[in-house]
Amino acid sequence: MIDLIEVFDRAEVGPLISETDYYMKRYVPKLTELIARYKIKWDKETIINADDDLTDRVFQAAVDLLAEAGAYCPETNRVMQFSREEILLACSQAPKSATFGEDRERKTMYGRRPDTTDDRPWVHVGGGIYTTDEQIFMDTVEKMASFDIVDSVSVPSILHLRGKDSRVRSPQEILAACKTVRLAREGIRRSGRSGLPIINGISAASQPASMFAASYPDFGLRPSDGFLIDFLSEMVVGYEALQKVAFYNSISANIGSTSTPLFGGYAGGAEGVAVTATCYMIMGNLIFRGTYHYNAPLHSKLHLSSTKPLIWAIAMSNAAVGRNMGYPMVNLPYLGGGSGTKQYHYEMACYMLAIVTSGGNVFSGHPAMAVQSDSLVPDDHKFHAEMGLAAAKLTRAEAEPIAQKLFPLFGDKLKDPDKGMTFQEVYDAKTKQIVNSEYQKAMDDVRGDLAGMGFEVPVC
Amino acid sequence: MGNEAMHEQLKKSIVDQDEDAVLEAVNKALAEGMDPREVIDKGLLPGLNVIGEQFECEDIFLPELMQAALAFQSAMTVLEPKIKEAGGAEQKKGTIVIGTVKGDLHSIGKNILKLLFETSGFEVHDLGIDVDLFKFIDKANEVNADIIAISALLTTTLIGQRDVIDALKDQGTRDKYKVIVGGGATTKEWADTIGADGWSGSAYDAVVLATSLVS
Repeated sequence: MIDLIEVFDRAEVGPLISETDYYMKRYVPKLTELIARYKIKWDKETIINADDDLTDRVFQAAVDLLAEAGAYCPETNRVMQFSREEILLACSQAPKSATFGEDRERKTMYGRRPDTTDDRPWVHVGGGIYTTDEQIFMDTVEKMASFDIVDSVSVPSILHLRGKDSRVRSPQEILAACKTVRLAREGIRRSGRSGLPIINGISAASQPASMFAASYPDFGLRPSDGFLIDFLSEMVVGYEALQKVAFYNSISANIGSTSTPLFGGYAGGAEGVAVTATCYMIMGNLIFRGTYHYNAPLHSKLHLSSTKPLIWAIAMSNAAVGRNMGYPMVNLPYLGGGSGTKQYHYEMACYMLAIVTSGGNVFSGHPAMAVQSDSLVPDDHKFHAEMGLAAAKLTRAEAEPIAQKLFPLFGDKLKDPDKGMTFQEVYDAKTKQIVNSEYQKAMDDVRGDLAGMGFEVPVC
Repeated sequence: MGNEAMHEQLKKSIVDQDEDAVLEAVNKALAEGMDPREVIDKGLLPGLNVIGEQFECEDIFLPELMQAALAFQSAMTVLEPKIKEAGGAEQKKGTIVIGTVKGDLHSIGKNILKLLFETSGFEVHDLGIDVDLFKFIDKANEVNADIIAISALLTTTLIGQRDVIDALKDQGTRDKYKVIVGGGATTKEWADTIGADGWSGSAYDAVVLATSLVS
């Protein structure tokens, strides 16, 4: 693989072009051409594709997209160009596994192939988008970490200091990022699993300075945790991302290359998102030197990932990389329904059936449209992890009819989703046991509904 | 060709996002003596309305929206001088200054909204991303804007929307502009809290909102 400094240099020597021209003269026409060239078409019905020939064509289109359109560096206004040979070499040399955590919690996440039914996928739970009250922050992290089936956690963000908002790029943001990390590690220690990895580091940091500050070892993060570096906009590789790449590679940390291709944005519809999401995984390895990928395609208007075309596209990108590259992947589901609602659980079941059978590892989801502060309810995430482990016993062809039965239970609600519950509404403040019978009943009902559809989700 | 048929041809060329066809139809309409404002109002804008509806229904996406907008802009480079020659002024719904707040580098949602504003008949001044709060105000003063539209995707950058409104209050110019806010991290409650004149969760609704604010 070409070395990292050579990668950085590509941002300094490629063709000069404005951002608008990059999109309208390179990325968009090339993506359109490749979708036609490789005959990539979503039939508007299928949720989980099982056509391996189509899957492989998506991967080829993703390789060609990077080779022929390049990435864009806004700081230098240059296209970062890579030859097809460089890209294919990077794909062949991509990590097939990533090891996280310390001591007895040290475990390995593997890249999975679609239709693998005899492995135990990595189980990641939690979420970083919640603005969570400090008083329950540690309770939330401790409870998530205490579930035996959990291999790693994402921790919420604390964005307040002394009751005030911490502004982006402010010194308060650095303090908030450091505090988030310290409290998260303490919450994990309280669970009795101090070596458990945090792989969404660092949720409260929007800038490299905050990430680097919060990475100071005394605060509790280690290179064996995972540090997210994201592509800001479609195919954009900015200096801030490259600064993080330089630093986290220098300390040999696990890097989670992260991408959020937008359905309805420059990538267009299902086909464009599938190709672009796949391309990001290739770029994440080649440009960011990621050890795993955080795949998070999103609907540009609804701000969630559980529409039918998006689930198809996300599953497709997992299958394409799973069959052709083997890069370990987790997928961040943004769901419409609020925490604890049946809608939320149905969406997650459909998503898990699609993604885990297609080669993704297990990652519980965020409420997105109905999100509110303190709405990270750990038992939701345990239930969703159980769904993921159950889905791992199925093939794509077996999962598709179940997903089709599930979709009508939430599809019409995505524009106006059910509101959910908060941590405080679900748990007893002292015992941290579920005391909300409505919450428990919704979960039990959904588990029964899934069994009725042929999808047994055992309690772990 | 009658005027109605010409209107249809103009409209279709926009719906097809075909810049060459748009320019051909515009030049043909002008050659046949059609008033340039009629070309816009009865041919191009109805086409852009169709594009907006198709975008809202997910029949087309951002690239197609941009192609249609670029075709429209090309047509306007031909039509604007003709309108001025005739002593008229281009009719517009209003003037909007738009940008993403300081510290926030996200652009796609703002770009979609900018295009929809433009294709709905607004004059739009796009300040880009990571915009200093006083740039919003200075630009609004410079172009005599009706609306300042402020985008923020991140929870940590929301405060920038409040800052613009606070600065307008401090300068005593709050009532001069309508301020609307949007973006992934915003809510109606947030907009109400900071005293914005409006909030929208989607680009299409934002156009409806802006239109109502300048009516």
